[in-house]
Amino acid sequence: MTTTLTQTETRPAPTANGSGAFNGHPPGNGDGGRRGPFSNPALIQRYKLGVWVGVGGIVMFFAALTSAMVVRSGLSNDWQPFDVPWILFLSTAVLLVSSFTLEGARRRMIAADWSGVRLWVNGTAALGLVFLACQLLGWQALSARGLFLASNPANSFYYVLTAGHGLHLLGGLLSLGYVWLRVRAPQRWATREAVIEAAALYWHFMDVLWIYILGLLVFWR
Amino acid sequence: MTEVELSPEVSEYTEVHRHPEPKGFIAKWIFSVDHKVIGIQYLLLALVAAFVGMGLSLLVRLRLVWPERSFGILGDLFPVGAPDGVMTPEFYLAMLTMHGTIMVFMVLTTAPQGGFGNYFLPIQIGAADMAFPRLNMLSFWTTFVSFSFLIAAFFVEGGAPMAGWTGYPPLSAVPEAAVQGIGQDLWVVSIAFFCIASLLAALNFIVTTLDLRAKGLTMMRLPLTVWTWFVTAILGLLAFGVLLAAGVLLLMDRNMGTSFFVPGGLVVSDKAIDHSGGSPILWQHLFWFFGHPEVYIAILPGMGVTSHLLATFARKQVYGYKAMVYAIAAIGILGFVVWGHHMFVSGMSPYSAFVFSVLTMCIGVPSAIKTFNWIGTLWGGQIRFTSPMLYSIGFVSLFVSGGLSGIFLGQPTIDLYFHDTYFVVAHFHLIMGVAAIFGMFAGVAFWFPKMFGRWMDEGLGKIHFWCTFIGVYAIFGPMHYLGMLPHPRRYAEFTGVDYLQTGSAGELHYFITIAAMFTITAQFLFLFNFVKSIFAGKPCTEANPWEATTLEWAIPSPPPHDNFGGKVPHIYRGSYDFSLPGAKRDFAMQCNKDEAVYGSAAGGD
Ligand code: HEM
Ligand SMILES: [Cu+2]
Repeated sequence: MTTTLTQTETRPAPTANGSGAFNGHPPGNGDGGRRGPFSNPALIQRYKLGVWVGVGGIVMFFAALTSAMVVRSGLSNDWQPFDVPWILFLSTAVLLVSSFTLEGARRRMIAADWSGVRLWVNGTAALGLVFLACQLLGWQALSARGLFLASNPANSFYYVLTAGHGLHLLGGLLSLGYVWLRVRAPQRWATREAVIEAAALYWHFMDVLWIYILGLLVFWR
Repeated sequence: MTEVELSPEVSEYTEVHRHPEPKGFIAKWIFSVDHKVIGIQYLLLALVAAFVGMGLSLLVRLRLVWPERSFGILGDLFPVGAPDGVMTPEFYLAMLTMHGTIMVFMVLTTAPQGGFGNYFLPIQIGAADMAFPRLNMLSFWTTFVSFSFLIAAFFVEGGAPMAGWTGYPPLSAVPEAAVQGIGQDLWVVSIAFFCIASLLAALNFIVTTLDLRAKGLTMMRLPLTVWTWFVTAILGLLAFGVLLAAGVLLLMDRNMGTSFFVPGGLVVSDKAIDHSGGSPILWQHLFWFFGHPEVYIAILPGMGVTSHLLATFARKQVYGYKAMVYAIAAIGILGFVVWGHHMFVSGMSPYSAFVFSVLTMCIGVPSAIKTFNWIGTLWGGQIRFTSPMLYSIGFVSLFVSGGLSGIFLGQPTIDLYFHDTYFVVAHFHLIMGVAAIFGMFAGVAFWFPKMFGRWMDEGLGKIHFWCTFIGVYAIFGPMHYLGMLPHPRRYAEFTGVDYLQTGSAGELHYFITIAAMFTITAQFLFLFNFVKSIFAGKPCTEANPWEATTLEWAIPSPPPHDNFGGKVPHIYRGSYDFSLPGAKRDFAMQCNKDEAVYGSAAGGD
């Protein structure tokens, strides 16, 4: 699909859909646009690169919160350790399972079975919602013990970290919604595979991030 | 779709997919996804912010030398802050805070990166747009929301925040301490939005640079402008998340009763504050972990523009291109490990201070490499003293002047004395404030014909350059001396302080205020020149009026939609091939094949 032309040659009329990738890089195709039913590896690469870079930024955000937590816990004697609500382990399990269901969607995508993709994406989103509900129950369990945001710095960090992760996961849910829209009429969207791959990468990162946060809450007391 | 005339400079190209032009005013100019329009939006936002920030600095200077004087109009605008037109000390602090915040975030962080970077990075790498155009639009509008929140802080009850652009707690964290109203809250929210916008933008810049380069454009052939935008984006990606986290915690301390940054036992205005155990120093660490990279976020694009222009107008290759790239990268990396030099007086262990000091000195090395290479680029060149060139040379001068004082401040023992004095004010204004702004002036003057298809007035530009150049030295030069007295910064008045009454401190302050008024007036020359030239400047029909080498000069002025009209040039050489021996002209564009450069027979390298 790539046409290389020199100025001296006569130029053929541009191809109607002359999208091309050279060096594996489509030059400046913007958001992709509509480009026939073929998958576009360059676009997938670009979207995934975007997620990886975004992961860098998010990591710094949570690294900052972590260092604040470590410093704050060592500062004064008002730090009161507490046991995290048991429901967090349930939510962890739910989130892990959701990563597998999203992999199911990817597998259907490779088989070009778009209704299958939609099914698995719906399932993943549902599990994501269950996870968020569990997190809310966790907050409730904590406040039932009389531990509120401002009760104690240990609690403050608990709420901040879980809320921060929850908001990022909400972003993941939105991206699943976007995937859902893109695979409703799959022929039309060259971005569909790229969006799925990117959303999956982000979703798995949410798992890893959550496990890290849980570890922090459980072990840094 | 109109066919785009391709410049004869382009030896070979690749046909790619084209995008339809947007239709209608809103899609074209307001919620545009076109990187060029977004670039101009950023530039305009920065222009407005710069004039607001400048007005505030004038108030600050006026209050310093005429503390009792009444300025009638202020009384009408700010009945609380300036009753009967006389500025209260609180009002002084508020104006100072807003000045710093607007200048650092809304001017120095937007125009060089969001403005010029957005407009020219895709073109210089041969892309039709950024990697994620809609994300790009989102970045700009989030920045706009951030700016609106900041401006709103002037008008809420209790007035604008007073905690300085660094927002140090407990002043910023305890509502009872300074601003009773929501001014400080708006400040934090504004910064948070700004962080989000900058993170999204950084992501876009990084992916674009890595993924959308034209065929043949290897990393080591990138224009130095692109290198600096790229490294700036990496710094932004790693720094703004930290500030965002700090901002969230600060907002909770203010409004939700947490104690991250507020220590226990605090009594404010005879009132015990209900907080315990937090640490203001924790904020300082988080803030400066962001803050030091931030100063390089502000200056790096200016360095890129300067390197680019010095080569172009000296008709020479950039001296030591590779060294320049490594220096940019080294500055980027080292920039993350020196934040402690802002906190030498915070009671840190002398061992940490020593480490931070040594690392800080290390940053001087790549900075010096860059300076030497700029001078090496100028050395023996056939210099064309156009107005963009003058601004670039001004940049080098200011960078050196400001950098030298940095070396002193980087010594903990000296900094104990200089910290929070006018010496620091002089240092960072020369190096960050004014040098970066000279980079922007250079960028505007250089790229104006490309962006608008018209010329700015050269004569006016030169007058503006000399007035500003002399003006800023007149303002900030004497501040070094004031700092040595030492005159503390962030004080609304110096009357009643004995050692500041003797000698020339008072007269110097008058002199500085007069110089500031002069310099500020001169900026209206620039504004006039800019606005007039957009509508009535001499038309520039050439694609490459400066005889420059990079890709933006191979397309019409102003560039068409999609930049290259679906025909992306191939790249054959580095970005600064000036005065090649044996070549037909004294420059070779990046898209010129050797045959085009040397004539078909010769070839070679
Ligand atoms: C040779 C390189 C540099 C060295 C050794 C250096 C050193 C320092 C030190 C030690 C301070 C803290 C002074 C104090 O608060 O007591 C400082 C402040 C500052 N520097 Fe630099 N600096 C250098 C370059 C730069 C550059 C390139 C910029 C910006 C583009 C910059 C911007 C600032 C700013 C904005 C502040 C003051 C922040 C504030 O307190 O409000 N510096 N510098
Ligand atoms: Cu610094």
